Amino acid sequence: MDPTSPGFRDYWQETLEALARYPARPEIDVVPLRTTPFATLYGVRLTSVGAYRLFGYLSIPAGAGPFPAIYYSPKYQSVLEIIPQGTANLQRSRYITFSLAGRGQRNADSPYAAMFPGLLTERIDDAASYVFRSIVADSIRGLQFLLTRRELDATRLVVSGNDLALITAALAPGATHVVTAPALFYDTMALAPKTHAYPLEEINDYLRAFPAQAEAVRATLAHYDLRAFAPRVSATTLVIAGAPGTLLDRVTLAPLITALRGPVTVHESAQSLYKDGLVTERWMAAQCGIEDVQAILPEHWRKAV
Amino acid sequence: MPNEGAAEYRSRVRKPQDFDAFWSDVLGQAAEIPLDAEVVPDPLRTSDDVEVFQVFYTSIEHVRVAGWYCRPAWRAARTPAIMFLPGYQMDPPIPKEWARKGYLALSVAPRGKLRSMRQFNPGYPNLLTHNIVDRHTYAYRGFYVDAWRGIDFLLGRPEVDPERIGVTGSSQGGGLTVTTAAMRSQVRAAAAGAPYLCGFVDAIELTHTYPYEEINDYVRRHPERRPEVEETVAYFDGINFADRIACPIIVNIGLQDNVCPPETGHALFDRIGAKDKVLYPYDGHGHDAGRATHGAVVDRFFASHLLGRELSA
Repeated sequence: MDPTSPGFRDYWQETLEALARYPARPEIDVVPLRTTPFATLYGVRLTSVGAYRLFGYLSIPAGAGPFPAIYYSPKYQSVLEIIPQGTANLQRSRYITFSLAGRGQRNADSPYAAMFPGLLTERIDDAASYVFRSIVADSIRGLQFLLTRRELDATRLVVSGNDLALITAALAPGATHVVTAPALFYDTMALAPKTHAYPLEEINDYLRAFPAQAEAVRATLAHYDLRAFAPRVSATTLVIAGAPGTLLDRVTLAPLITALRGPVTVHESAQSLYKDGLVTERWMAAQCGIEDVQAILPEHWRKAV
Repeated sequence: MPNEGAAEYRSRVRKPQDFDAFWSDVLGQAAEIPLDAEVVPDPLRTSDDVEVFQVFYTSIEHVRVAGWYCRPAWRAARTPAIMFLPGYQMDPPIPKEWARKGYLALSVAPRGKLRSMRQFNPGYPNLLTHNIVDRHTYAYRGFYVDAWRGIDFLLGRPEVDPERIGVTGSSQGGGLTVTTAAMRSQVRAAAAGAPYLCGFVDAIELTHTYPYEEINDYVRRHPERRPEVEETVAYFDGINFADRIACPIIVNIGLQDNVCPPETGHALFDRIGAKDKVLYPYDGHGHDAGRATHGAVVDRFFASHLLGRELSA
């Protein structure tokens, strides 16, 4: 979909306006079990569109701020992590981290409990009520909340995640940096038939079961295609592309990469969580002016540097 | 740069004297509970080549456990089966790919996982430390049994060849692969990746990443309970199950694994009792443990042991 088309603009403008009608009303409570000498962890409850109560984990470093922040936008999985599995807990000593469960994920699964697989095609035949419209709003609400924290250095705010990281940065102000690994909303109708792997296999399942809905699905997904959001993203961005030859590799993502308005770095996956993770940690640290990145890497990555 | 010291690491894991008696008692309790298996077709996920079912069965403490079961549309009357076990925070996947390779495939969602959380739901993080001071109520007591009962489910299916059952998974799935192969003699081949739940007391000192960091959080908050924690986890440590494994087994580890330290993978491998065992250490890899290339190794391994077919390298 053309990002300048009225349909796209109006759809997201209405979404943002709907979100604005609900104040966040955050409740913030210390989680003593996950609080360390170097960071305090809080559980955060806040309201999103549709009067839906969300949950997130907010970690604030000890000491005098302001601090850079990493916002982990909602993921396609049921579990909400404090920080991503395998990340050194010491990351929380340098950055504010905030991870948010979008509606349907654990801790934000009442009244709506998402299924995995299942989330990607929940009400996909109707753009107006497609579940990801609300989840995008959830993600924006999380960013808005983070921006209210007095400990934050707003010149260093990384939004990290899958497609939602990029969409959030496109629709809401505040992200200075983005780390995105597209998985859901890049040319989805064309790419899904080329794979049997979930989450895109959800699309194949759905269209096999409901072939008459193909045009409706296409119309819905057009509102979510990352290429339409890219011209709105001025943040400095790290795109994690698939390894060469895989479904979402650099060649496939080229139109997205070209369309991003801000500075872009592309990392082609080495199909190693170590190598890919190291690139990401170093990139974020460099962008945020953190000089001792070695000190906040997992132990088994430090040895190998 | 290879992680040179991992292979020489000396694990602190020690087997409790009543380890076998403890698990014998647990298995005895589980055996008294009927499986009461239920198999429900899932037309939305079924395609021309793979039939998909949601399955449910009852485990210890009468917890109802869910799973996905896939059948190749074209199969022999008796077909080999593979049980897939999930990672710690993974939502158990629909194992269509295993079915496409010619196996009946069961993907288990042990208690607390999505679709198996109605009666037990400590959450994530928390599962790892739920009742960790008491082996009789520790979360993984039931969780392990839930996985082992998956073998009972397969044995109850008329289309499964009971002589050709394999088990696999990575991370927590790797740890569960180890314990399942150890406790269920019907398993004829096992492939464990980046095994978690092996070397608990080593891992919490070697790494400070979640999920193991949950234990460090717990003992920081309750330092006086550390002896009880260490006592409990010894009963659940995959390293202490390993000498019971008799089937062929392959293990892959990443030498830069930041979640399940490679030192613990080596310690596990050293203790595996099977004569037919191979370790695949992947330098330059983290918790993926070389998955991108190791997948073909796993395919060849199961094809050889379960399908009776040699795949070209």
